Amino acid sequence: MASLESLTEDLLVRIYKGLASDGDRKSWRLVCRDFHRIDALTRSSLRVLRVEFLRSLLANYPRLDTLDLSVCPRIDDGAVAVLLTSRGSPWAFPRAASSSLSPPGRDPLAWTRGLRKLVLSRSTGLGHHGLEQVIRACAYLESVDVSHCCGFGDREAAALSCGARLREVKMDKCLGVTDVGLAKIAVGCGRLEKVSLKWCMEIGDLGVDLLCNKCVDLKFLDLSYLKVTNDSLRSIGSLPKLEVLALVGCSLIDDTGLQFLGGGCPLLRVIDMSRCNGISSCGLISVAKGHEDLVQLNASYSLTECSSILLRCFKDLKNLNAIKIDGARVSDSAFKALSNCTSLVEIGLGKCIGATNLGLMRLVSGCVNLRVLDLTCCHSITDAAIFAISDSCRNLTCLKLESCNMITEKSLYYLGSFCLLLEELDLTDCGGINDTGLEYLSNCLELSCLKLALCPTISDKGLGHIASKCRKICEIDLYRCNGIGDDALAALSSGCKKLRRLNLSYCSDVTDRGMEYLGQLEELWDLEMRSLFNVTGVGLMALAAGCKRLADLDMKYCENVDDSGFWALAYYARNLRQINLSHCNISNMGLCMVMSNLTRLQEAKLVHLNKVTVEGFELALRTCWVRIKKVKLLAALRFKLSSDVRETLHSRGCKIRWD
Amino acid sequence: MDLKMDLEERLRAETWGKPSSVNDLPQRVPPDRQTQFPNFASHKNLQKREDQDPSISNYGMRIEPSFSEFNRPSECQPPLPSNPISQDRGVQMNDILQLGKTQEWDPKAMLNNLSFLEQKIHQLQELVHAIVGRRGPVLGRPDELVAQQQQLITADLTSIIIQLISTAGSLLPSVKNSLSSASTPPIRQLGQLGGILNNSGSGIGLDSNLVLPSQGGSKVPDQSNQVDPMDQSAIDNLEDHESKDDEDGDEGENLPPGSFEILQLEKEEILAPHTHFCTICGKGFKRDANLRMHMRGHGDEYKTPAALAKPHKEAGSEMMLIKRYSCPYAGCKRNKDHKKFQPLKTILCVKNHYKRTHCDKSYTCSRCNTKKFSVIADLKTHEKHCGKDKWLCSCGTTFSRKDKLFGHITLFQGHTPAIPFDENKGGLSLQGEHNEDTNKVGNVSFSFGSSTPSSGGVQNIMEDVKGNVDDPSSFFSPLSFEASNFGGFNEFTRSAFDDSEGAFSFLLQASCNYTQKNGGQSSSNNLE
Repeated sequence: MASLESLTEDLLVRIYKGLASDGDRKSWRLVCRDFHRIDALTRSSLRVLRVEFLRSLLANYPRLDTLDLSVCPRIDDGAVAVLLTSRGSPWAFPRAASSSLSPPGRDPLAWTRGLRKLVLSRSTGLGHHGLEQVIRACAYLESVDVSHCCGFGDREAAALSCGARLREVKMDKCLGVTDVGLAKIAVGCGRLEKVSLKWCMEIGDLGVDLLCNKCVDLKFLDLSYLKVTNDSLRSIGSLPKLEVLALVGCSLIDDTGLQFLGGGCPLLRVIDMSRCNGISSCGLISVAKGHEDLVQLNASYSLTECSSILLRCFKDLKNLNAIKIDGARVSDSAFKALSNCTSLVEIGLGKCIGATNLGLMRLVSGCVNLRVLDLTCCHSITDAAIFAISDSCRNLTCLKLESCNMITEKSLYYLGSFCLLLEELDLTDCGGINDTGLEYLSNCLELSCLKLALCPTISDKGLGHIASKCRKICEIDLYRCNGIGDDALAALSSGCKKLRRLNLSYCSDVTDRGMEYLGQLEELWDLEMRSLFNVTGVGLMALAAGCKRLADLDMKYCENVDDSGFWALAYYARNLRQINLSHCNISNMGLCMVMSNLTRLQEAKLVHLNKVTVEGFELALRTCWVRIKKVKLLAALRFKLSSDVRETLHSRGCKIRWD
Repeated sequence: MDLKMDLEERLRAETWGKPSSVNDLPQRVPPDRQTQFPNFASHKNLQKREDQDPSISNYGMRIEPSFSEFNRPSECQPPLPSNPISQDRGVQMNDILQLGKTQEWDPKAMLNNLSFLEQKIHQLQELVHAIVGRRGPVLGRPDELVAQQQQLITADLTSIIIQLISTAGSLLPSVKNSLSSASTPPIRQLGQLGGILNNSGSGIGLDSNLVLPSQGGSKVPDQSNQVDPMDQSAIDNLEDHESKDDEDGDEGENLPPGSFEILQLEKEEILAPHTHFCTICGKGFKRDANLRMHMRGHGDEYKTPAALAKPHKEAGSEMMLIKRYSCPYAGCKRNKDHKKFQPLKTILCVKNHYKRTHCDKSYTCSRCNTKKFSVIADLKTHEKHCGKDKWLCSCGTTFSRKDKLFGHITLFQGHTPAIPFDENKGGLSLQGEHNEDTNKVGNVSFSFGSSTPSSGGVQNIMEDVKGNVDDPSSFFSPLSFEASNFGGFNEFTRSAFDDSEGAFSFLLQASCNYTQKNGGQSSSNNLE
């Protein structure tokens, strides 16, 4: 320890700054008090899980500029009011009071002056009063995220408009916000640069027009799924600084609107027009002709036909590095127009009708820098195409081959031989691959995401090859891989310590032993294990005790798990945020334990629980109603639950889905 | 000549008696298709026109004599009208509207129309023949007669064109929707026609008449989407448009100075409620027609068709100058002494202008009690929309339409739309609302017990940290559930107010024998 003490504070800060992951930083601050102080002094962003500690945490981290409350339940007007009281708390927290880290007499609201970014995503309990208080208190706030606060409307938008310095506002899926709310923001926050209005279904042309009029500094605009028409595009065309525009699912716009876009927005770099049914090649050409510096273009599921004229037009764009034309009809000759396009990094051809071996060979022949290739549902391609791809694109990192039924282990051989940088491979529903193929593939040491769903031919042996060599794997999908059993999980648990996501649904051979292996994966975060009949309470207990980080658990149809398993879950899985217990054999008691003890739980699916009575549901919901944000229940319960449960859930912003 | 006059008289009387006898067509339109609106609208409009524009109102009368003179041979061809132009104008308009109203294509009606048109063209042909034949003797007559002949032919041709277009218009699928809009151009054209006939500038007039209806026809598809003829608003629109025309319609008229006669009414005359007075009892009326109706009560001599007919100017008035009006208010732009004098078109215009511009606004809206008007029609128009202005700006201005509000906000820096305070229950007192809120929770869940002060609900959330890390367990304790339902659950709940970690470990250890693994981790555990 003597050597550690010789390190000065700024040296420690330097070392601390070298830490990459949150886990490492957590270990750091647990070392000793000095290290903890360095963490406190240096840390700039905070993601809080419990509101109870928020006040002391804010006092202890003076450099804070980003505060993320999106996973913190119980953020409501009351909590905000308490946070923002300037008087010293008469009910000071024991830890904060005893800590030497917060010098006495410091302004308890100092943090508000440093805060630049506030994430309030999914804070459904917050009302407009609380929001306005926060925004007004944090005078220097530049970015605020209230996405997925479905209940937010114009009042909340008006509260946001108090932040005159705001540069970024993200309000995806604030379903109640109308043109009036947007107008409030547009007028109140004239310096806006990034605005995301995805799924704000009530906003129309008038609001967008006003936004474009008042906020001329806009650089990023997301209008996906809005009912905007060409009039909006006319206004958008007048924005001089716009760089990124997303218009996903705006089916009311057409080529006329795109012409406005082609004639305006001189700095446009990225445009996403996927799922715009009204546009055609013609409109895209006018956009491409108007913007020679275009970098990314996404027209997935918008075009019916992708002509060679259009592709030739793309080729003229010197900086274009990503195009997606999923769902369009293409021809071999058209691909020729795009070959030798060295700037291209990403191509999306998912569900393209007419994508053949010949076409792909032509396409990839010159694209040496290609990294991402999406060939989902290009049913006609075979090993020959994969050979051409792996031969020309040695830098490939992501390849999606879902539903390419013709490819065999040969393809995996090519990939394992040439594309050594491959990180993500989607082989969902590729019936032709087998254990030998996986052995070839295990040469791709960088592999981090592997999807093998619906490949019944692979077995424990094949996965063993992958697990033994591909140590960086963090996501595996084994949905309905009937050949997979406990041995594969044993291999995974010993080889892939970084595994975060795993899908084991319908792998019916998996037993409690497999679950015990999984319990050794400390990083496991998302587990789907539907319909594992051989797993009992013992297995679930082992899993819950081992996987401390588990946040998302889907155990629908795990009918043999008994209450002992759920008690263990309630006791250990404190980080669980989403759970699906539908069709499980859980009792009243078990459900109440789970719902009350899992204090971070935000979403629960609780349908077809045969052993749970109405009283059980009532009690379980009462225990968690202050923090739960989404719950799925049987429709029959709608009239059986007492009205104050329903009302309280509703008033806290919890969404109930009646199944 | 006497005979001729008699004939004419009889004809006119018939016209008055049964307006639709001009043409059999309107009667053939099935009654279910005879919707109320077109008749109503056209009558209303026509009446208005007649009131406003004396120069037009009697055009039918004016060309009548000459026409009947030339066209007598054809008078003996019933049931087709001998001479549509000679009929009362209103009736003819009605006729056109009825034609346009034919909602679905009726081949029978179409055939009738076409044969009717054919007959008409034949008549016209004969007429021209007759003129050519009489060329010799006519030569000796003054030029005036030649001009009259030209007018006559022009008018006849125009009516044929209009009928042809409305017949064609009935073929368009959406014509029934566009009726109100499509019917406006013909009215106007006739108005113009009147003017043209007065001005004897027939050639140009014909041109414009040719162009305008076809424009109206081509517009039909888009208009049909917007205007619902049965809608009251469509009628309103028509009216509004007309009344707006009163004052502003003549802006671009550009009559050369001296080509019209300027009349200036005195203030008293303008503000007088009545303009027509009964010579017998002295009762005043706003409309001449009403006076004539009134006169019937004074004796049988006022009941004759001649007395009831609209008084018309003598033949010599044809060359009379167009009348324009000046406002008596000195310095007004509408005053003839003003440098950029812009004359008013009709007496009604003068009245409205004078009241709006130079009189007190004495009519106050009974709904909002703020807006004031000097013309009662304006008040009524306002009252129709008053209170419906739901689009409110932060500056207090209200708008009936969202786009108008947004235009306003775009224009003025710092203005924002105001959000009405409807569902705001808590008001501005934040603290009060919190109390309310937390009290509610407290009452429902009983978790705070009676010791919780009313303002402390919020604090409780934070306070939980002290003892209960897992506050939800505190919700367990006093829940009003029968313990018997849950077996051993009571035991569990009793430990709720202890340190929850301890409580749970106790409980769980008792049942499952777990080892306590995460006890020692500090608050940093709660960061991610």
